[in-house]
Amino acid sequence: MSTVDLSGRTVLVTGGAAGVGRGIALACGDAGAHVVVASRRDNGVDVVHEIVDRGGAASWTQCDVADRDSVAASVAHAVDRTGALHAVVHNATSNHSSEPHRLEDVSAELLDEHAAVSLRGAYHCARAARPALEASHGTLLVMTSPAGIEGSATLPMYATMKGAQRGFAKSLAREWAPFGITVNVVSPLAFSPAMVNAIAEDPDMERRLNRRVPLGRVGDPETDVGRGVAFLVSADAAYITGQTLGVDGGHFMSI
Amino acid sequence: MTTPMLRVVASGASSFTTELTAELEDVPTVDCVVFVCGDVDAAVLGPLDDVDADGWDRRAEQVLRDALTALQDAHRALSSNGGRVVVVAPTAGISGAPAVVPFVTAVEGVRAMAKSAARQWGAIGIAVNTVLVPIELLAPATAGATSFLPPPALGHAATVADVAGAVAAFADPDRRGVTGATVVVDGGSVMAP
Repeated sequence: MSTVDLSGRTVLVTGGAAGVGRGIALACGDAGAHVVVASRRDNGVDVVHEIVDRGGAASWTQCDVADRDSVAASVAHAVDRTGALHAVVHNATSNHSSEPHRLEDVSAELLDEHAAVSLRGAYHCARAARPALEASHGTLLVMTSPAGIEGSATLPMYATMKGAQRGFAKSLAREWAPFGITVNVVSPLAFSPAMVNAIAEDPDMERRLNRRVPLGRVGDPETDVGRGVAFLVSADAAYITGQTLGVDGGHFMSI
Repeated sequence: MTTPMLRVVASGASSFTTELTAELEDVPTVDCVVFVCGDVDAAVLGPLDDVDADGWDRRAEQVLRDALTALQDAHRALSSNGGRVVVVAPTAGISGAPAVVPFVTAVEGVRAMAKSAARQWGAIGIAVNTVLVPIELLAPATAGATSFLPPPALGHAATVADVAGAVAAFADPDRRGVTGATVVVDGGSVMAP
């Protein structure tokens, strides 16, 4: 049960239809927010139904974060539907995020596919949501990864984008502070669809992962990561900005 | 056996790159590529609200593309015998900086790219390290963007010669065992946790 109170707040979650995004949407819904589930495909509707079935409030908006107009329409949907927007959680990431590659082999096209979702998506969210976030003294949250902090031996483009998102968030936190808008970063360790598939192929992987996490387990997208995000988008976190919060069982402690 | 080389490459021309190249002329020739992430056409001041799609591409994503090309060129040049790559970038990536959001976004991406290169290329003897310097040293037009930072503990701003010293240290092939590292050369203003 969530102890965070998001009553009367509207939270838009990109990539909210599955994995960590779905967990964030469910946790924010449980905490009382109206959750705008933004996703490219209409599987976001299923998450809306889950939230409503639990007694919460939610709506779905088709959203391709790489498309400026699509993001603007999703922000407009949130404001039209609820009268305000208090938080945007940019969680969407490229479909290629978990495909291993070598840096020396990366093409300009692959870089662009990663950047379109992670970086241009963050830029589109920021541009579209700023007026509404200024009006609500709201918050922008960007989901990163330990790979963005320590690099990655298998996913260099993913790491590049996740590192870039931290530079984006810290700079924007400074730029938007005079407007009363906070900007933060969450670095989660949680089961994602890609991780679940990988564990299905390599059952020992979960044991190896758990051994590397001080708290002894990989996080749950909803009850671990989602609740951490719910706190950061709540009024209780109004004095926190420019920070990276690891919600990872202590996996990474060197921020 | 190929002739050792020390090459300085940059995304965009700048007086910093010219001066750094001159400072490094006296460094013993070793297999080293220095990439300067200080494109003066990307490091320009202005609120994100005023950055249109073309501006975002030029100031953020083009910087990442240039860095990728530079690192891949370095890999081609060094993969046979190993060597050193040194990335020079602004400290603003660590501290954040208002009014330079797109460029600083790219800068922190480049630093994560360099660390990833270090992890992937260590097995073939390529070390990749990063030297961070005040943003105004790379792009004078950004002066004031990090005015919120404390003054340098050493009492004076970092010079190109200071930066060259750190680059030369990372270029030294005798300094084995250092890769994926970041060192800040700013006289003690940014002190990372």
